[in-house]
Amino acid sequence: MKTCTKCGVNEVIIEKKHSGQRLCKDCFIQGTQQKVLKDIRHYKLIDRGDKVMVALSGGKDSVMVLDILNSLYERNIIDMSTVTIDEGIKGYREDGVKIAKTHAKRLGIEHTVVNFKDSFDTTLDDIMASNSQRGACTYCGVFRRWILNREARKIGASKIATGHNLDDETQAILMNYLEGNIENLTRIGPKTISRSEMFTVKIKPLREIPEREVGLYVIARELEVHLAGCPYSSDSFRGEVGQFIKQLSRNHPTIMYSTLRGFDKLKPVIKQEFAREFNMGECISCGEPAAHEMCRACIFSNELGQNKKSL
Amino acid sequence: MKYTLIIGDVKESKDIKKGITINHILEEIDLPLETVVVKKNGKIVIEEEEISHGDVIEIIRVIYGG
Repeated sequence: MKTCTKCGVNEVIIEKKHSGQRLCKDCFIQGTQQKVLKDIRHYKLIDRGDKVMVALSGGKDSVMVLDILNSLYERNIIDMSTVTIDEGIKGYREDGVKIAKTHAKRLGIEHTVVNFKDSFDTTLDDIMASNSQRGACTYCGVFRRWILNREARKIGASKIATGHNLDDETQAILMNYLEGNIENLTRIGPKTISRSEMFTVKIKPLREIPEREVGLYVIARELEVHLAGCPYSSDSFRGEVGQFIKQLSRNHPTIMYSTLRGFDKLKPVIKQEFAREFNMGECISCGEPAAHEMCRACIFSNELGQNKKSL
Repeated sequence: MKYTLIIGDVKESKDIKKGITINHILEEIDLPLETVVVKKNGKIVIEEEEISHGDVIEIIRVIYGG
């Protein structure tokens, strides 16, 4: 009978392959919370008095971020607000929005829902049904970041917290390396620093938590989450890279950690050589920060508008 | 000798083979352990957990493509 490495009880809910540690429910929850708070301190993600806007999709990652940051909110270390983005994916996004609303209400935290429809006069379903040249994730990512930045300024947030986990970070590192996007690599990390005052710093408190442990955490804590996968994600390059990493991790359980550590050592050097200095101006169309005349959201929006006209 | 298997909305009654564990079930349905959390009779268990007559096994998928 396997017992908890920390407290000895015989109801183990996880055996961590990379360390051999076995944990019961309480020790796993407590240990995970402590790990995330330790990473927040180590990477200096949060300062006392910050107003943190949590990007809350209702999925397991963002619900876990909300749950752990709530302990800082309750102790008045930070102020907190939540935003849910509705990309307009029928049969998928509605459940996440509902769950996000429930959690925000339960914790008494400010919550806003922002639609793609209101911001860009289109939905992801419409984009994918049209003659669009780019993949779903490309539009979705750019549009979501545009909304998050704008919303963060609107509510006066000093930080935006997202639920990116260890699997996400490792995938991003590998994807960009494999595609030769060395400049993009300079932008991966636990905290973004931006050269424009119009950008709000983004933090990733779950950066060192494996995706499966995020899933285990929310179930162990009995938190309601939206577990379904995005219907547009199936054929993505990220999906392929993710599968590859998971397969490797079976026989090499520490591989994601070592990839992250190695990358963190390399990053300052890559940044020095490859980070491009942009003079951040304002988009001539929407006023948001842009490295060129127009921001990417407006460039994409224009492309899609032209697609609509040509139909 | 039977156990109940729940995956999403699907609930089935299955025969128990001697010494069957969560690992065996996951292999049979081709779901990698890294993508699921498994409960036996309402409690989270690890993959080596043995299954007995009357057990209710719930497999919760926590990782998808996107």
